[in-house]
Amino acid sequence: MTGMVNSFLKPKTGSWSNALFILPYLIFFIGMLVYPLILGIELSFYKLDLFGPGRFVGFKNYVRLFSDKIFIQSVMNTLYFVVLTVPAIVLISLFIAIALNQESKTSGLLRGIFFSSSVLSVTIVTLIWRIVFIPNDGLLANLFVGLGWEPIGFLSRPEWALVAVAITTIWWCIGLPMMLFLAALQQVPKEVYEAAALDNTSKFRTFLYITVPSIMRTIILTVIIEIILQFQLFGQAQLMTNGGPNGTSRPIVMFIYDAAYKRWDIGYAAAASQVLFAMILVAAMAQYFFSSRKGHG
Amino acid sequence: MKLKKLLFSVAALAALTIATPSWAETELSVQRFFGACEADFGTNTDVDKAVGECGIITSLINKFNAENSDINVVVTTVEWPGYDQLTAQLAAGDPPDIVTMHESVISDYQSRNLLMPMDDIFKSAGIEPSSFTGAGVAGVTKDGKMYGMPFDTWTMLFHINLNLFKQADMLNADGTPMLPSSPDELLEQARKFKAATGKPYMIQQLANGVAPYTRLFYTFMAQQNSDFFADPMNVKLQSDEARNVVNLFKTIFDEGLTTIDMDYPSAVAAFPGGEGGVALNGTWLIGDYVAASEKEGALKDGYTVYPYPQLFATDASYADGHAWVMPTKERSDENIAATAKFLRFLTDNDYQWARTGHLPGVQAVFDMEDFKNLPHRSNIAKIAQTGVSLPPAVLRQFAVQDIIGEEISSAITGNKSVDDALKDAEYRVNDLLNNL
Repeated sequence: MTGMVNSFLKPKTGSWSNALFILPYLIFFIGMLVYPLILGIELSFYKLDLFGPGRFVGFKNYVRLFSDKIFIQSVMNTLYFVVLTVPAIVLISLFIAIALNQESKTSGLLRGIFFSSSVLSVTIVTLIWRIVFIPNDGLLANLFVGLGWEPIGFLSRPEWALVAVAITTIWWCIGLPMMLFLAALQQVPKEVYEAAALDNTSKFRTFLYITVPSIMRTIILTVIIEIILQFQLFGQAQLMTNGGPNGTSRPIVMFIYDAAYKRWDIGYAAAASQVLFAMILVAAMAQYFFSSRKGHG
Repeated sequence: MKLKKLLFSVAALAALTIATPSWAETELSVQRFFGACEADFGTNTDVDKAVGECGIITSLINKFNAENSDINVVVTTVEWPGYDQLTAQLAAGDPPDIVTMHESVISDYQSRNLLMPMDDIFKSAGIEPSSFTGAGVAGVTKDGKMYGMPFDTWTMLFHINLNLFKQADMLNADGTPMLPSSPDELLEQARKFKAATGKPYMIQQLANGVAPYTRLFYTFMAQQNSDFFADPMNVKLQSDEARNVVNLFKTIFDEGLTTIDMDYPSAVAAFPGGEGGVALNGTWLIGDYVAASEKEGALKDGYTVYPYPQLFATDASYADGHAWVMPTKERSDENIAATAKFLRFLTDNDYQWARTGHLPGVQAVFDMEDFKNLPHRSNIAKIAQTGVSLPPAVLRQFAVQDIIGEEISSAITGNKSVDDALKDAEYRVNDLLNNL
């Protein structure tokens, strides 16, 4: 009897029945992600709007896309935004995590404060930062006037609009990576740091040769998560600048949104979505393979 | 025993509630823009006390709910203009019962059979189509049927701070402001105003939104008799008329004769704050600015308003209208009866809506003494004759508005040359229209 129970409980490695455990997840994954993705790819080969029958046009939507100056501009804006935000988010949240990686009431309170921005909705975040950036009564405008400088139209100047959106995003997004880094830092054995201290190792060398390698997997994970998230910029740009001025803060998702819901050009929007999907995939995979080759994957 | 009795009573009451549908309220889902103001008017049913678009429409609906215990109007307030949300709702097959819609947008939805003709419901509500203004009827009529209930006609206006105009010695002998009659005169007066007051002549929204640019562009194109949409599928913007308008406003920007960098809320607040002489904004702010002129502040006893001045050959202003439409969907008889009652209520109270500053959608309101006594209405009454809109056959007018506004703003603020901006605007609009 005992033998029967043991054989029942013993996992059968390589058995197809084990897949049953992930079946519920697979059903949702296929139904809610894979199937819509395939439908989206199919739509991108059609000329159709939201309310009428479509016709197959092959790669015409893609050809149109790559000759569309507004789309190319939104691609460049999005890449610029990712460059502005991802390194900043990762570095700032890493340094905050290192600074707060200690057991004290103050660090606990500060962790809560730094994380609190992440729980706000995009509407609240952009409202707060609008008050900071608006040129007349905004925080920065008052500061500039106080210093005798000319206030800058952060939300209405082409060179500043996307930067303002990026600053807002960085402030909004540092909470989650900070918590991931804190969790990772707490896994690093204290003995390693003690050994380094005994060897009189400087703080910078300790950080570079002990901390960074120990949490490299978390750094890679965070970078990939942030790349995927920041490529999908939408709410902040729509609410703070509406993509302007002159389209200088219009990201790809806003382009897709406009094509789908303002123009009702669903096939065109679907084609732009596939380009965005490919960009995210390539960027995230490049980061993953680059890190793997260095032996950290 | 007591517990049993209590349970029985509760069950009986519940059964009675469920089994008596005739007592139930008919729920009417209304989706509107005009903003949210629950804190100020969320429970107000005295419409006379309400001010501004949001205050008046909120109070009107509160009053309707209070007077009609058998109907519950549930309001969803959307961010202006809310068409992206409506489009998604229609695509998902779940639109609200009644929606606010600009008359310029009705063709988009009507041409796809997404709106119900409302002639029958007007008949059942006892609303005579001839009771609406000619502009309103024209704005909602497609293929001989009415696809919306006209609520108002609106346009962009010169809201004027007379106190600052006085300081600039720009008042006529009768106390009215001096208004320009040519582009050169506009620049001359704007320069004089700035020299005298140290403030910009114009207050404009130049950030986070481009619709005002397009509206002023349409107005001054119409004043030059430019038929830039002669073919509704092919716009022509590379013209001398278009260059005249854009260059004029570029000069105003370059010379600091306008506020810069303001978004819509900042521009709205800047005018009663005395930050400039003329606010370029819509009819919907008249009520608010009249109220502001009755309080202490830079606008105290010094507010008036006029249509955009005639700078070119023809007196014309771009105008549009708000309407209530009914998306195509399955509806119960109770729902249709409740809708008819609600629309009748709005029509009967169109005077209250006209207090916002919009021109009434119901013709009879023009003849009401109360309306005639509203401040400044005689100044803007001519909009009924001079108002022009784009040809109804032009589809996606809001998307077109965004494109033209974005390109013009680029030219005015110096991010693009005027010729490049007009060329790009023309290309982008035609690309949009040719890919419908």
